[in-house]
Amino acid sequence: MKGRGRGRAALLLVWLLLLAGLGLFVVKRLNVSTDLRSFMPAPTTPDQRLLMEQVGDGPGSRLLLLALREACPAATAPAAAGKKAAGHGSVTRSATVACARDTPSVDARLAALSQGLVGKLQHDPRYSQVLDGSFALGALDSRLLPYRYLLSPTLDTQPLDEAYLADQLRQRLDDLSSPAAGLLQGLLPRDPILEVLKLAEQWAPPKSPQMRDGVWFSKRHEALLLVQTVAPGFDPTAQQQAIDGIRQAFQALPGSAGATLEFSGPGYFSVLVAAQTRQQADWIGRISTVGFIALLLLAYRSISSLLLSALPIASAALAGIAVLTLVFPAVHGITLAFGFTLLGVAQEYPIRVLSHRRAGEDALSSVRALWPLLLTAIASACIAYLAFYASGVNGLKQLAVFTIVGLLVAGFSTRYLLVRLLPVRVRDVADMRWLAKARDLVDRLPRPRWIPALVALAIVLMLVLAPGPFWQNNLAALTPVPPQLLQRDARLREALGAPDVRYLLVLQAPSAQGVLALSERLQPQVDRLIARHAVDALELPSRYLPSVAVQEARQRKLPDRATLQHELAAASKGLPFRAGLFQPFVDDVEAARKLTPLTPQRYAKTPLGQRLAAMLVHRDGHWLGLGTVSGVHDLAALRALGAGSDGRVRLLDLKAASESLVAAYRTRILQALLVATVLLVLTITFALRSLRRAWHVLAPMTLATFLVLAVERMAGIEISLFHLIALILAGGLGLHYALFFERDTGDPAEQRRTLHATLVCVLSALLVFGMLAWASIPVLRAIGLTVSLGVAFHFCLSILMAPHSHASED
Amino acid sequence: MPLSANASVPEPGASALTPATRALIASLGQPAPARTAFAEARFMHVLDRPLVISGELAWLGGDHLERQVRQPRPELASIAGGKVTLQRAGKRARHFSLSRAPQLQVLLDSFVALLSGDANRLATTFTIRRSGTAAQWQLTLVPRDAHVAGSVASIEVDGAGRQSRCMRVHQANGDLAVDLLGPLAAKMPTAPTRESLQVLCRGGS
Repeated sequence: MKGRGRGRAALLLVWLLLLAGLGLFVVKRLNVSTDLRSFMPAPTTPDQRLLMEQVGDGPGSRLLLLALREACPAATAPAAAGKKAAGHGSVTRSATVACARDTPSVDARLAALSQGLVGKLQHDPRYSQVLDGSFALGALDSRLLPYRYLLSPTLDTQPLDEAYLADQLRQRLDDLSSPAAGLLQGLLPRDPILEVLKLAEQWAPPKSPQMRDGVWFSKRHEALLLVQTVAPGFDPTAQQQAIDGIRQAFQALPGSAGATLEFSGPGYFSVLVAAQTRQQADWIGRISTVGFIALLLLAYRSISSLLLSALPIASAALAGIAVLTLVFPAVHGITLAFGFTLLGVAQEYPIRVLSHRRAGEDALSSVRALWPLLLTAIASACIAYLAFYASGVNGLKQLAVFTIVGLLVAGFSTRYLLVRLLPVRVRDVADMRWLAKARDLVDRLPRPRWIPALVALAIVLMLVLAPGPFWQNNLAALTPVPPQLLQRDARLREALGAPDVRYLLVLQAPSAQGVLALSERLQPQVDRLIARHAVDALELPSRYLPSVAVQEARQRKLPDRATLQHELAAASKGLPFRAGLFQPFVDDVEAARKLTPLTPQRYAKTPLGQRLAAMLVHRDGHWLGLGTVSGVHDLAALRALGAGSDGRVRLLDLKAASESLVAAYRTRILQALLVATVLLVLTITFALRSLRRAWHVLAPMTLATFLVLAVERMAGIEISLFHLIALILAGGLGLHYALFFERDTGDPAEQRRTLHATLVCVLSALLVFGMLAWASIPVLRAIGLTVSLGVAFHFCLSILMAPHSHASED
Repeated sequence: MPLSANASVPEPGASALTPATRALIASLGQPAPARTAFAEARFMHVLDRPLVISGELAWLGGDHLERQVRQPRPELASIAGGKVTLQRAGKRARHFSLSRAPQLQVLLDSFVALLSGDANRLATTFTIRRSGTAAQWQLTLVPRDAHVAGSVASIEVDGAGRQSRCMRVHQANGDLAVDLLGPLAAKMPTAPTRESLQVLCRGGS
């Protein structure tokens, strides 16, 4: 006895050490990717492929919209309000109630903060563009300053001749005597024709908000900024870092305590939604864990059994992740989330063992009787999940590897490790009086043969009559952004003239120069569209960088040094400018004549080059230019831009493309499911060696699965990927119920134990997933509701469709 | 109501003003709106000879100033609500923020403070030195804010009795703007020099 106790302790120690080792390995190796793209199927259409690159990577989706507002001392404590608005995006009262304020000085303070923020973020490698409306010479770095004559369109229509220079110089003289003199003086010798200002105007967002105190302001007295992140928009982790960086920079500014900084844009939303979902899932998870523990304590009255039964699940999860890290370079966050959900099946293994313990018998011998059935359950689930591995979708492959490894580890560690650790003396649940009554009740239930037919008919009717579309293709609808935040986003987007995230005008050419040339040719048509108000703005790549051909044409129009000096001398005749004042200008023009035209590669090192890089992508041997669109009023006119271009110009609807991608993804899942079903039928039939018995297991499972689908559709729910995954989990649980109910040992006590085990499983699943069904976030609700309904239906149908037991035939 | 950051610091210098200086500044106060003719000569290092303009300056109360240039080309500049607006015949109006032109801000501060006779406001922005006699006085204003002093070194205001006659703004880079005010505006020479204008301002002829 003593020796056995020592053996148990040693085994437990080894197991725990193994787990700790695995844990350490996982922590070291695990590289969780949160990029949505790695969970998506391989794109097939060109639009889908572009979407895969552009989801979160496109210029529009990497844009953060910032609003700086005076904190209202009258409203709730400003710091708390700011924190709240920042952390959870809830719009505080101060957002809608204007403060009693002293407008000019508040605006000046906000403008100073806005400029301070730009100063701090401008050279931060995390941001490719930071704009607050103020004109900064820094936009074109001084090395590139001579390029202004190649970048600006002035020379296309205006030679640098005496007449033009004279007119410009006279204007500068007026400027010098005006109050603006101080702003201009530094620029004068190098740039008397103010080409830099023309470029700054050209590069300002196409529809600028109103300027106050030198920066953009909204009508609600918010200073507005645009920040383009280097990180993709739908990578919540990277976006969180970008947002934190901005927040830290803001808080380090003097006077920032008196103002609140608010964010908007796709990146911010992805952070917000991820945080909200995690928060709610954690909160619900904590409550249901407590309930789950209470339930198991109530069922088995043994703390040690409870603690020990957690070991197989922990082993399963750790082993699953460990194998994932070995097989895949990065594990997707969604795989883990789905995987842990699917691993819920494994909790059944220890529960079955605990419920089937007999008085006076050690766990090892109890489990021997149970093992063939348990092995059937484990094997069939694993074989079914193999279908997911064959789907070819990286995320689903990971899911398959994780769950198969997890289920095997949970099953085998239950069978060979857990049973050696369980306490010897236990209460036989079969002796419980209420259980006997319950079993009696179950056995006496009428089991008419027409039940499957009736249920099937009901399913068909419900599916036919159900309202609304069957599938939910919009993944974003499952993790919705609060409406007031969307309203604010629309308001800021309009005020800033920031591009829509939905449409992109795609230009395709064999080379980057080809794209730029195409973009230049398209510009007049685009200008007409804007003039007609078909769109508010459409920004093409050539806006930031003309093609080499155009630059060279402008270069040819630049006068040589002698000519320019001559024209300049003639132009400044009679004007009081100091002799030789404009030497830097003459030098710049001379330098510009000899410059190698600017290419995207050379441009890339500058802030504006970064902006261009987002609009010019190289792929599969050709180049794509991405025009960002804002304020679409006439979609047909916008589409017509591509007419007759042989697909070299086309409008990409990111929403439609993403929906088609989701539909393709679903098709893969459904195909995998179909294969899984076939594999399952074969495995079960082979394991039970009887078609009739297989029918008793598979029929209730199939019917219950479709019943869940039908009931959800009848309730107006559109079916998404998450519903499908939840259905698979419920199906796995249902398989257990049916397998165990179908098993006829001829021993009433064993039948009672089966009922006990199943009841514990059903109740625990209902507890955990029933809680999730109350969540306010649709994705959690989808999983919770589907599994809860599934568990209930599987339980009822597997009882009602189980073969009559001996007890009732007596 | 403080308008700029440097004006909102507590008034360290206000108490340092002698009663005579305080009285002098107070005596310059006029009810708004106040208008006066002006002629300005700007000596700039980018120019060979000074730039001369003339027109009318108007203080419309508060921080609202207007400068109407008539010669050589008409231009209307107005400063109101922290914003500068420039208008020229046949051109779109241009706007920029006062905060981008700190030298303009000090000019506004000094001008408005003098016209409203507000010695305290003047003393918060500048250290003030008075010299001369009641009949022929001179105030030298040096911006307290080091950043501002980097562009505007000092402002000299010359006057006689209750009249400012002349403002000379010395830029830190050596540029100088001389504004002849009121009746003196008509006496702007066709080819002014720094010296001839100084004589004019000091009451010489």
